[in-house]
Amino acid sequence: MKIATIVVAIAVLFIASTIYTQQNKKLDTHLVEFTAPFVFGRFNLPENNPLTQESVLLGRRLFYDPILSSNNQVSCATCHKQALAFTDGLKTSVGISGNPLAFNSMSLVNLMWGPRHFFWDGRVSSLEEQAIHPIAHVDEMARNIEELIVDLNNDETYKKLFKQAFGNISEQNIAKALANFQRTLISANSRYDQYLRGEISLTAKEEQGRKLFMAHPDTKVVLRGGNCIDCHSQFLTSGFGTAFDGFSNNGLDDDQTLQPGLFTLTNNEMHRGLFKAPTLRNIAVTSPYMHDGRFATLQEVLAHYNGGIKRSKTLSPLIIEADNIAKTQSDHISLNLNDNEITAIIAFLHTLTDEKFLANRAFSSPFMAENNDDD
Amino acid sequence: MMMTKSTKVTLVFGTLLLTAGLAISSFWLRALPQDLTIRFHPYVGDKPLVLNSQSYKNPGGDGEFSIRDFQLFISNIALEFSKKTINEAESYHLVRFDGDSTFDQFVIPNIKIQNLRKLSFGIGIDPKANGAILFSGDLDPNSRMAWNWQVGYKFLLLEGTLTLRESQLPLVYHIGFDESYTKLNFDIAPEINAKNGVINFKIDLRRLFQKSSKVAKSSIRLKSNEDIEYIDMSEMSHVKFSPVDVKAIAIGFHDFISIL
Ligand code: HEC
Ligand code: HEC
Repeated sequence: MKIATIVVAIAVLFIASTIYTQQNKKLDTHLVEFTAPFVFGRFNLPENNPLTQESVLLGRRLFYDPILSSNNQVSCATCHKQALAFTDGLKTSVGISGNPLAFNSMSLVNLMWGPRHFFWDGRVSSLEEQAIHPIAHVDEMARNIEELIVDLNNDETYKKLFKQAFGNISEQNIAKALANFQRTLISANSRYDQYLRGEISLTAKEEQGRKLFMAHPDTKVVLRGGNCIDCHSQFLTSGFGTAFDGFSNNGLDDDQTLQPGLFTLTNNEMHRGLFKAPTLRNIAVTSPYMHDGRFATLQEVLAHYNGGIKRSKTLSPLIIEADNIAKTQSDHISLNLNDNEITAIIAFLHTLTDEKFLANRAFSSPFMAENNDDD
Repeated sequence: MMMTKSTKVTLVFGTLLLTAGLAISSFWLRALPQDLTIRFHPYVGDKPLVLNSQSYKNPGGDGEFSIRDFQLFISNIALEFSKKTINEAESYHLVRFDGDSTFDQFVIPNIKIQNLRKLSFGIGIDPKANGAILFSGDLDPNSRMAWNWQVGYKFLLLEGTLTLRESQLPLVYHIGFDESYTKLNFDIAPEINAKNGVINFKIDLRRLFQKSSKVAKSSIRLKSNEDIEYIDMSEMSHVKFSPVDVKAIAIGFHDFISIL
């Protein structure tokens, strides 16, 4: 298929949500109008939480407000910073208790697409369900929800915002607002997006990297590849959305050290050590990498795929099989990419950085905006 | 025996009522549209396919294999009736066997099943859709079945492990390409219709590894099942982009699916 066709196909679609089933009919709310690239595909919105401007406005304020924590010092943004594509730069996150969490913070981007399971191990199935977890978690925000609701009810601004968005203040409505704000975090203006829209061309190096990213190697037809697309989808670069296709074991640990991963949710032995393949959008600013933040740089990530793979019984067969030199039948698993190819893939990964997204005022702290207005 | 006038009247009326009733009910039955379920049962030869835990003999060589993932596209379903043919809209179904049940199925609503004569579908994605970026039915360019947009879709994905005496080989069969798209036609006998609106199909993985092609088989009619030669998985443990290898597997699509 020719690039011209894709350029046409990508012509940005204007998508306005048509679901308008507000439980409280009297509320006068307005649906968010947003644009997203056609190639992202169908998106998931729960029927009982229409994406209204009022709920997003409220969600944004809650996201940045330490009122959600028991010591009034930790907000969602403590661990999800916009400049870092909503990650925190730490190996594993640290919240209210000061005890490092078991996991590396996850980027919050294009959450309406990709797997319908959230967290590294997929243990919650909606953003609404997810939102309450960090608030209640002893190490993260350690907030008693009932007390939080009392405090919010004592705050005139929140009383007004909740009234406009949902009618009243409740745990469910806190979750809905946070979920909706996060749904608006769409990143679709990286150099890769501009390239897909036909606005720019990639440098020779980036283009080489793109091709390698998008190809599973096949020595029989002299096709070199990095096999990334076997697990990171071509446009979203996230894990796949259908069933548990978005989860895999990419060889971080051997059988002795394998973490439960998706097994936590499914209790299926074949899911032990499977983790969510995360989006690679803005990957250059979201170090360190992997569920436990074990790799500090993209060079280390690529070194892993190119020879650091550990065998275990659930390791992806696609990883074992992918090799750029005809199978040597050796025990050592490697893509056998050369240094030049490694730097090309890293160059391509850098085209996924969306500077506009990282600086978009609509996603930044509303409190800073308020303070700015004051002076 | 003498018939009284009233018995006669009752008889005539009764017969009339009965015929009318039969006519109405048969008309009703024929006219009543139903959900048609198309159900697929995966097999390896005669044995049902069980993912992960079951092993099967390498059809053409040593060792045993197990399957971890098996998915395929069934597309462009056409239902032929005595008087007309219905083509399902957005007819791209991903059939996969990693769920809790032993089969996978999809439903085509509002079909006058009694009148169904023939059913046809394709294995894979027709060239037009395969060359486009399209969200139709189960088609999703961001899914596991998609290669990049220049290559199109995997029509069939089969991944697993071949265990030989001393080693384990990963099995990776990603079969795509326009040339592999295969249309299958089935006659639907009336007794099949009767089974609660379900048509059961068998998908036999072994067929993918048979060496004799459809053409060869029909020309040498005498060949029995035992005479079919099979590919040794250890010699073709991964098939992705090599056109010759893809063809060797995809030729099996012709005999891949049969009515149970
Ligand atoms: C103490 C740090 C911390 C705080 C505070 C925090 N998070 Fe997180 N967040 C994380 C970590 C770590 C993960 C990954 C955890 C896991 O997989 O178990 C995560 C994961 C997520 C995910 C899942 C993303 C995905 O793609 O699956 C969402 C959504 C999210 N956080 C939203 C929020 C919201 C909303 C808040 C505020 C209510 C919040 N987080 C507060 C650290 C934090
Ligand atoms: C077999 C599936 C698979 C393949 C192939 C694969 N990945 Fe991944 N990738 C994953 C999974 C799963 C994770 C998360 C693993 C974890 O943390 O446990 C991941 C994580 C990553 C991360 C870290 C993301 C983050 O936010 O921490 C990067 C970067 C990455 N992959 C890049 C690549 C590149 C580049 C390639 C090709 C050379 C590639 N991947 C191939 C499945 C895969």
